[in-house]
Amino acid sequence: MTTENNNLEREEAVVVALKATFPDLTARVKRIRRVEASVSKALTPSVLVHAKNVLGYKALSHISCVDWIEDEHFELVYILWNPDEKIQLLIKTLISRENATMENIDTIWRQANTYQREMREMFGIEFPGFVGAKEFLLEDWDDMPPMRRDFDTKEFVKEAFFLRPGREDAKDVRDTIAKRSKEEIPEFAKKYSREK
Amino acid sequence: MKREKATTLYLGPQHPGITGNMMVKLKVEGDTIVNSTTHVGYLHRGFEKLMERRNWLQSFTIVCRICVPEPDPNEENYARAVEEIEGREVPERAQWIRTLVLELARIGTYLLWFAGQSGSAGLYTMGQWSIGDRDYVLDLFEELTGGRVYHMYIWPGGVRRDLPEGFEAKVLQTMDYLEKRLIQYDKLMFDNTIFQKRAMGVGWIDPEKAIEWGVVGAPLRAAGIASDVRKDDPYEVYDQLDFEMGHATTSDVWGRAQVRRFELEQSINLVRQIIEKMPKGEYYNRIPNPMKWVVPAGDAYVKTESARGEFGYYVVSDGTNKPRRVHIKGPAYVHAMTLLEDMLKGANVSDVSFIMNSLGTCPPEIER
Repeated sequence: MTTENNNLEREEAVVVALKATFPDLTARVKRIRRVEASVSKALTPSVLVHAKNVLGYKALSHISCVDWIEDEHFELVYILWNPDEKIQLLIKTLISRENATMENIDTIWRQANTYQREMREMFGIEFPGFVGAKEFLLEDWDDMPPMRRDFDTKEFVKEAFFLRPGREDAKDVRDTIAKRSKEEIPEFAKKYSREK
Repeated sequence: MKREKATTLYLGPQHPGITGNMMVKLKVEGDTIVNSTTHVGYLHRGFEKLMERRNWLQSFTIVCRICVPEPDPNEENYARAVEEIEGREVPERAQWIRTLVLELARIGTYLLWFAGQSGSAGLYTMGQWSIGDRDYVLDLFEELTGGRVYHMYIWPGGVRRDLPEGFEAKVLQTMDYLEKRLIQYDKLMFDNTIFQKRAMGVGWIDPEKAIEWGVVGAPLRAAGIASDVRKDDPYEVYDQLDFEMGHATTSDVWGRAQVRRFELEQSINLVRQIIEKMPKGEYYNRIPNPMKWVVPAGDAYVKTESARGEFGYYVVSDGTNKPRRVHIKGPAYVHAMTLLEDMLKGANVSDVSFIMNSLGTCPPEIER
């Protein structure tokens, strides 16, 4: 969207530098100022340390997790920023959904502590050796980690909450008001009614 | 020396000095804090999970609610991420209008911040004035979008509607007014001995470590590091505008206040430039039927410079009509957690709110 030339030499140099040190890694230029690399789980901490200490990706912008339940893995995305080169590097790795574990990196970036606490709570990913308060956003949670795709939010709401006594019929406000006031719902509004 | 017994203090979640629904658990010896822990969870709304169950356009009504003082960077980030995945072009005029909205939002947020920062030093007059002036900016938003706080105006494909008739003149009038008020703000806040004594040398961040610790926005610029997403990773039309970043080297509350004061003036100038240069034309590249709108598989990481620092969105599409994942990272995710916990160690208990305000803490974006 910005009016810059499409010279991607700097981004391509990052891909070359990464591949020179880690031949097994796949990397590509996504667009100007965005490079992404896919790494195996075992190699990820080494790539992160190398990116930070050698390639100048000093800032950790973000750590994200995506649940690919159909493929039975989580995708962790470490998003780094190089303040000198002005390039964002996305390092992606796949970990198994079952007994999901990942290397603790809060010794590399202190703020990774918060991200890991959230991932442990929301996705159930364990980080061996990681010290961080167990509860982050949820309190006394003993259900499935709620950001997992197989967590049924509707079922949870049914179990956790109840209808106010005397208001069990008030699931559809429009219909309830019509019944109680004995007024007919206008024809044009009937299509929005939940009771069809 | 005999060690004093530490007392536990709970600052928040209901406390006038806290910047939202969160709690800081402090261990104090006398007036000195020896340990602090941030507790969040009072405001978790599960927005990211909600978005997985809503279509792409329905999710757009959720994102603005992530940050109450400044919803517009969220809207812009979400819209730009979806456009990047889909490859959708945005009309030039829409990009200019978006930039105008973002700058107006920045002005409004800085005015709100003035109130918080001065209020935590006991200077309430300043806060009442700046909140009153912020209302003039909200009036503009109301006329433009229909909403004062949540605008739901920047959406995928452009903006929701064009500028109303005579809107540019009103914006310029408001900017002229705000510019004159800055002189009063300086007298009330920066020339005030109380503020100077409270702010100088308090809440120091090591400039050598700031980038590594995840400091962004005004606190980073106040540490002498030139870093602004508008310059480093330009989006919308910022590369066609002339502006300077705030700069300070003291890396304390005073420096951060100086940076924001300077940037408020820059934003007023930016708004004038945008109004002057804004081209005519289309403001919306229409999306297909929202209920059937499918965004191709892919992912995008986009970021905006909000008034409180870098705001990032990681959006993933699996090629369906709903987002696979929308993961939001606001500056407070680091500022109010690990950074604040470390900064408060050794600080005076009366400076806690003061330091929190200088970092621009906003709990809703930690919890989403």
